[in-house]
Amino acid sequence: MKHSDDLRHIADCAECRERFTANVLPFDSARRRERANEFAATAAQLQRERHGAADVVTNELRDTPIDDWPRLAESPALRNNAALEQLSEEVRKRLERNPAEALAIANVATSIAESISGYPPMVIAQLRATALRDRANALRYLGRLDEAFDSIETAEARLSDFAGAAHDRAIVWLIKAMILAQMDLFAEAEEMITAASVVFADVNDPPRFLQAGLVYGNLLGRQKRYAEAQNVFRDLLKVAISSRDVETQARLHNNLGHCAVYVDDYSGANIHFSESIARFTDLGLRAEVPRTHLGAAQVLIGKGQIESGLSRLEDARRSFLDLNLFREAGLCALRIIEVHIDRGETARASDLARVVIGEFEAAGIDTRAVQAIENLESSINADGATGETVRTVHEFVQRLAAEEAQAS
Amino acid sequence: MFAGPAFHPSSEAQPPIAPPCVIDESDFGELYSDNLRLLVAIAVRKFQVPEVDAEALAHEVFLSYLKRKNEIRDLNPWLIGAICHASRYFWRQRGHRTDQLDQEKAVLRPDPASAEIFDVLPSQLAVREILELLPQRYQEILRLRYFEGYSIREIADYLGVTAKYAQKLVGKCLRLAEETFNARARNKR
Repeated sequence: MKHSDDLRHIADCAECRERFTANVLPFDSARRRERANEFAATAAQLQRERHGAADVVTNELRDTPIDDWPRLAESPALRNNAALEQLSEEVRKRLERNPAEALAIANVATSIAESISGYPPMVIAQLRATALRDRANALRYLGRLDEAFDSIETAEARLSDFAGAAHDRAIVWLIKAMILAQMDLFAEAEEMITAASVVFADVNDPPRFLQAGLVYGNLLGRQKRYAEAQNVFRDLLKVAISSRDVETQARLHNNLGHCAVYVDDYSGANIHFSESIARFTDLGLRAEVPRTHLGAAQVLIGKGQIESGLSRLEDARRSFLDLNLFREAGLCALRIIEVHIDRGETARASDLARVVIGEFEAAGIDTRAVQAIENLESSINADGATGETVRTVHEFVQRLAAEEAQAS
Repeated sequence: MFAGPAFHPSSEAQPPIAPPCVIDESDFGELYSDNLRLLVAIAVRKFQVPEVDAEALAHEVFLSYLKRKNEIRDLNPWLIGAICHASRYFWRQRGHRTDQLDQEKAVLRPDPASAEIFDVLPSQLAVREILELLPQRYQEILRLRYFEGYSIREIADYLGVTAKYAQKLVGKCLRLAEETFNARARNKR
């Protein structure tokens, strides 16, 4: 075996490690002992808290009316690291589904973290940065980007005195890059995401390295730099394959499909979309299958590939129906109706509208949605419907769904 | 037609691909002592971080590990990556560039810290070697006096003795260091 001072080699080779560290003098042994004791005591404290805090956050959130959640910041049971970790998990779970609730929880966590004590300054900085980062992310989901940016800047500042917090800092940079990208500050976002990726690679954190790569590729895609985005996604695919991360492989194939459409490689696009769907199906993520079809259809139709797009829309609608997701299936049908109307196939458009009305009625979907589609059907039959009319109905049905989700 | 969603985002927080390395509570002390020298050596030898600061950086890396430990798959690469970034950050905070200096410029403008390195380094290495051979308490007294710049009064306070006695102790340590150095030189010849 070839020995060297290469750090990756030293990580695994006891002999070289010994040689490399041979001349390091124990400088201040008393201080060193003090630090070792602090480390062991903190480790034990965090372990103890984790063991003793099972479901404390779930229970508190469940037993407290949502309007009273801010008061939870005073609850002694939540004023420790384990509870803050659970709060962070609750934020994560709600981000997609209910970002307003996620923000309310992140605010509780931030209040606690900003006033917590009883840990070494380094750990306190990590707790604060995590809470502020979660808060920034929730604000980002809500589209409150200026506030999100302020919060993520504060998170970064909390870590600024601690050189050893490289991994935490990189995670903050990842969220900051997402916020900057949403603010259309592409150059700044790119710089941030590159810096974060280097850290994730160096600390051997493939999930976050892949996540950062996806953000970077999307950033390039938003700037219409599709060929560069393709290269990024292809490189990431190799990482995802080597780390056997099938879900990320599925997402990457989907993104490669989109890139291929934009560079007019339609057969390549179809292969990637099919690969993506096959992997989502293998993983049992059935809801992702129609979403992938739908995304593919939209981009194909947008590029004038009507037949392939229509076929994907029909696949998406079938998959939604298989999952009993009637509203989503109906929204897909409205996309199909739009295509029919654009091609002058009014009879087919009208027939499909009638089918959707039946499905919505049978599924007990909001009567206002049913009424809107009935009006659309009448309009089609009277030869008065245009693509714009269908889009208006689509938006209306979608808005009703969003309102319903908010209310529940 | 209509504008669709462009790309598939990644899920917000993905779980580790492989299970994290599990470390028993009783092993934390061992983990610290087993890896501290390596982290300090990396900071000092690869990044020229002063030794006192290197220990503080390594300590921060260990503490930050405690919060992240459930998602770390492989401890050694994580520790090494973390100390490298900590060292770079350390210099960035002090306004130093951490990029490699252009070779041509390096020839024209040698680093003042390394200008007399061939004269100074052997003595520095010799001092370290000798120091290592002294008893722990003597090492500590000499380190406080000559590496950390403590005054005799401060050393006296630190050791809980009178200033006069501290002065005597420092002299005694120096004499022992000199004797050790001379004995070593004789043996080498």
